[in-house]
Amino acid sequence: MRLWLKRLYRLYFQSDPFKAGLCLLAALTGVSILLGLAWLLGKALWDLGISAWGVDFLRLVLGALWVLLVLFGNALLLVWVERKVAGHMQWRIGPKEVGPFGLLQSIADAVKLMGKELVSPRYVDKPLYLLAPFLIFMPCVVVLLVIPFDPHLQIRDINVGIVLILAFSSLTSIAVFMAGWGSVNKYSLLGGMRSISQQIAYEIPMVLSIVPVVMLSGSLSLKGIVEAQKVPYLLLQPVAFFIYLISAVAEVNRTPFDLPEAESELVAGYHIEYSGMRFAMFFLAEYTNLFIVSALLTTFFLAGYKGPWLPGWAWFFIKTYLVVFVIMWFRWTFPRVRFDQLLNFSWKFLIPLAMLNLVVTGGVLKL
Amino acid sequence: MEEGGLLVEAVGPRVKLGVLEEFLNLARANSLWPMTFGLACCAIEMMATVAARFDLARFGAEVMRPSPRQCDFMIVSGTITKKIAPVVRTLYEQMASPKWVVAYGNCAISGGPFVFEGQYNVIEGVDKVIPVDVYVPGCPPRPEALLEALLKLQEKLTGVRRFPGPERRW
Amino acid sequence: MVAEGLLRDLDAIGCVVEEVPYERKGYWFDVKAQKEKLPELAGAFDQHGYFVEEVVCVDWREELELLYHFNHWDDPRRFSVRTRVKATDPEVPSIWNIYPGAGWHEREIHEFFGVKFKGHPNLSYLFLHPDIDFYPLRKDFVPVTEEDKRVLLGRFPEGDEESFWLNMGPQHPSTHGVLRLLLKMKGEFIEDMEPVLGYMHRMQEKMAEERSYSQYYPNTARMDYVAPLAFSLCYVLALERCCGIEVPERAQFIRLIAMELNRIASHLLWLGTYLLDLGAATPYFFAFDDREQILDILEGLTGSRLTYCYYRIGGVYEDLNEGFLEAVDRFIQRMKRRLKDYDELVTGNAIFLGRTKGIGVIPKEVARRYGVTGPNLRASGVAFDIRVCEPYDGYRFLKPKVALREEGDSFARYLVRLDEIRASLSLLEEAISKVPEGPYRVEKLPKRPPVGDVFFATEGARGEVGVYIVSDGSDKPYRLKWRSPSFSNFVSFTEIGKGMLIADAVATLGSLDLVVPEMDR
Repeated sequence: MRLWLKRLYRLYFQSDPFKAGLCLLAALTGVSILLGLAWLLGKALWDLGISAWGVDFLRLVLGALWVLLVLFGNALLLVWVERKVAGHMQWRIGPKEVGPFGLLQSIADAVKLMGKELVSPRYVDKPLYLLAPFLIFMPCVVVLLVIPFDPHLQIRDINVGIVLILAFSSLTSIAVFMAGWGSVNKYSLLGGMRSISQQIAYEIPMVLSIVPVVMLSGSLSLKGIVEAQKVPYLLLQPVAFFIYLISAVAEVNRTPFDLPEAESELVAGYHIEYSGMRFAMFFLAEYTNLFIVSALLTTFFLAGYKGPWLPGWAWFFIKTYLVVFVIMWFRWTFPRVRFDQLLNFSWKFLIPLAMLNLVVTGGVLKL
Repeated sequence: MEEGGLLVEAVGPRVKLGVLEEFLNLARANSLWPMTFGLACCAIEMMATVAARFDLARFGAEVMRPSPRQCDFMIVSGTITKKIAPVVRTLYEQMASPKWVVAYGNCAISGGPFVFEGQYNVIEGVDKVIPVDVYVPGCPPRPEALLEALLKLQEKLTGVRRFPGPERRW
Repeated sequence: MVAEGLLRDLDAIGCVVEEVPYERKGYWFDVKAQKEKLPELAGAFDQHGYFVEEVVCVDWREELELLYHFNHWDDPRRFSVRTRVKATDPEVPSIWNIYPGAGWHEREIHEFFGVKFKGHPNLSYLFLHPDIDFYPLRKDFVPVTEEDKRVLLGRFPEGDEESFWLNMGPQHPSTHGVLRLLLKMKGEFIEDMEPVLGYMHRMQEKMAEERSYSQYYPNTARMDYVAPLAFSLCYVLALERCCGIEVPERAQFIRLIAMELNRIASHLLWLGTYLLDLGAATPYFFAFDDREQILDILEGLTGSRLTYCYYRIGGVYEDLNEGFLEAVDRFIQRMKRRLKDYDELVTGNAIFLGRTKGIGVIPKEVARRYGVTGPNLRASGVAFDIRVCEPYDGYRFLKPKVALREEGDSFARYLVRLDEIRASLSLLEEAISKVPEGPYRVEKLPKRPPVGDVFFATEGARGEVGVYIVSDGSDKPYRLKWRSPSFSNFVSFTEIGKGMLIADAVATLGSLDLVVPEMDR
């Protein structure tokens, strides 16, 4: 018996996937502390009973603070988590020297990027080149407004939340193309063009896989979808889950679909000519997008904030970060897909599959 | 050289920031992103330093960006020939300040074992092309030497040596 | 056999063929030809299925001598075709239309020696910097003539309406080294390409003429720094062949063990960097970790991690250290387990298969015309391995298993290299149990090698490594020429690369396993 326990210990506690998971757990504890404080603040203010007009204004302010907290806190955290997870999966430890367990690494990176020279090559198309890093951020902020972190922690519950999200997440491809075109460079142009075709190609399966979810829950608002999930839709719509997962990874340009920034082919793709803080914006936007698509995946398929005995936001963040972990796992396991294979996969396989799934769901619901 | 490149003038920064500069230097020292400029044999040892055994990422130097605009320091590892010298120059000028250069290996320091009477293609040392901050001798130097070079660069930035060696006691 | 048929044809053309002792010279037949007969000769060789290993030029001050080394896959008896031209106006008909691979060697000879090849389409600068104004490898200072300079600076890329020139390299994240390819692109398809080499030209051949034989030896390790023992072995064996030195058996076994370990290390490095090219970052770390185990073993034996100066003319530098054989044994057992991991992680991966299956096929004819050797050739279905066809050193006692695949695409090259790792592991297992006792070095060495020339070919990790040494009786080589496998492998890419997607080009270049400094020498 002891021998078996010892083996179990050695297998699980000392293997690298577990260490990678441990980093995740550390991340979650950090986040939960921050969020607990935020929640307490919100509850306290709610209980204070200010007038309706004041409450609304206060909600707006707190909402803005919340968005900023999630955005930057999440990005900082995910940079560290990614490097640690990557490190452990590659038989090494990631950042270790900068603060305990390398926790201050993201802060060092951020400060360094702020202090870097903003090199603007002479021949770039100034408006496009300068606007792109900011434009890539705006959709993230808008989408964060409607995600239900908790039954009481959603900044605005718009009744067509899904439409809003889908509309704004397409804006990132415009920003990427602006970056690619604006930096007058053949490689970034190739990167930008690839990004546009990729994002268009994978929007459609994404939408098609969300429609069965809407059909099952009968509502377009995100809170309504979460509330309607007595059973997580992962079990009712496994096909839609996988299609959405793959399309989400393609939408945020992560490996195996990271051709727009394919390092070995295109020397950093569409953000070749960006340095310093502008590059940091792209970096930040990537991790924020990652968080957003994982959050949406949890909302649609994993029953959002629902769960026993822990508060809603804790479950939400646990589930979201688990999905983030899985997506990071993809990155360090698979090689890159070739571009025409990528498009073929979407148009010839994912879209027919998604439509089939839609038809079957519709048929089953009718019966 | 392409028309757009400007010579980096050797004047110091025009704005001195005092304590903030120290803080910035601390942040910069802890997150030095190298640029992969592997030319010859020393490139393999540089790759081995990034690999799992001599993990360079421990010190924050993980993100090896291939684009020069996003890197902090350039590890010139390998022989500089006449053909590659303008490329090195261009890449150095494309890097965003503040930037540093590590000459890794004997060839980058002074031409290495390829200097002989009547040689016509090797430039004897990369410091004839770009300014160098740290020199790492060896043919090829061990990966630990590259880690030491990184620590020396951090010492140059912050003034504090991270892992003081035994010889520094006095 | 093939050679007999060829000898009849050569008689018909009217060349003087002489049989030479292979044990002292490294080739079997010495053919002296007039330069006008060269295209006819090349045609005869082509008809019988020979391939060109290399083209060498030697400067004899009043005359320039051109040597063409031909070899055959099934009948590996080397032919060495010589012709002499006057140094004042060297002009030779080119054989590029029969052997395009030889055409590339001719281009190199033109810029280094000034030999004009009639009929060659493109004699512009390949390795040298355009600022140079003399022919480097000539013994005396011979300036470049005006008209030759025009030819050398000749071809510049032209574009048209729909295509544009994309520059790949010289700084690559793909870690091939400094290779520059000018690709004429139509959208994402490659129409034409113009390689620019020579960014790592470190004058190895010129340096050999300035250094004595033992002084030059460390340079051999810097040629191909991933598997340096192949070049060291080739050099050392060539000198032993030329002087007729008999190496003790223990030394031969030690050399074989070190060489095979080096081969495994080289293939592991290739694996890591190839998958990094394709986008998978993790196998790189695993491969490098395994490689570190080998480097530990070799460091205990030789003292260095990367550029070994271990072999000596007549044996090895020092005997095996304690624990070496046990360490190799432990490594073999560990590596066999690790290969299963690689298979699971990489070989069955659908994305990897999609990126490599059917990509970059090298047909046998193309391989023959360009002189492709090594795992690239064995992946195209030709079982040509110098260790088996022309055994040398320790391989006379132990025969490795030749890995063979038929398809010739990048996936086949990947599988062949994995199979070669397995074959090396079993060879190592056999070797460490059979190492005999005895001296590890020859005690007395001759002071100088005799006058004459010698050629030696070994099987490196990338293909056939060859060295051709001309000695004039002094302690420095008169001419030393390396036959670089990466150069011959690379020039085949200029033919198969046309019409590819750029992502496929990256995958194919990676699978060819190029190391640029041995191309540029």
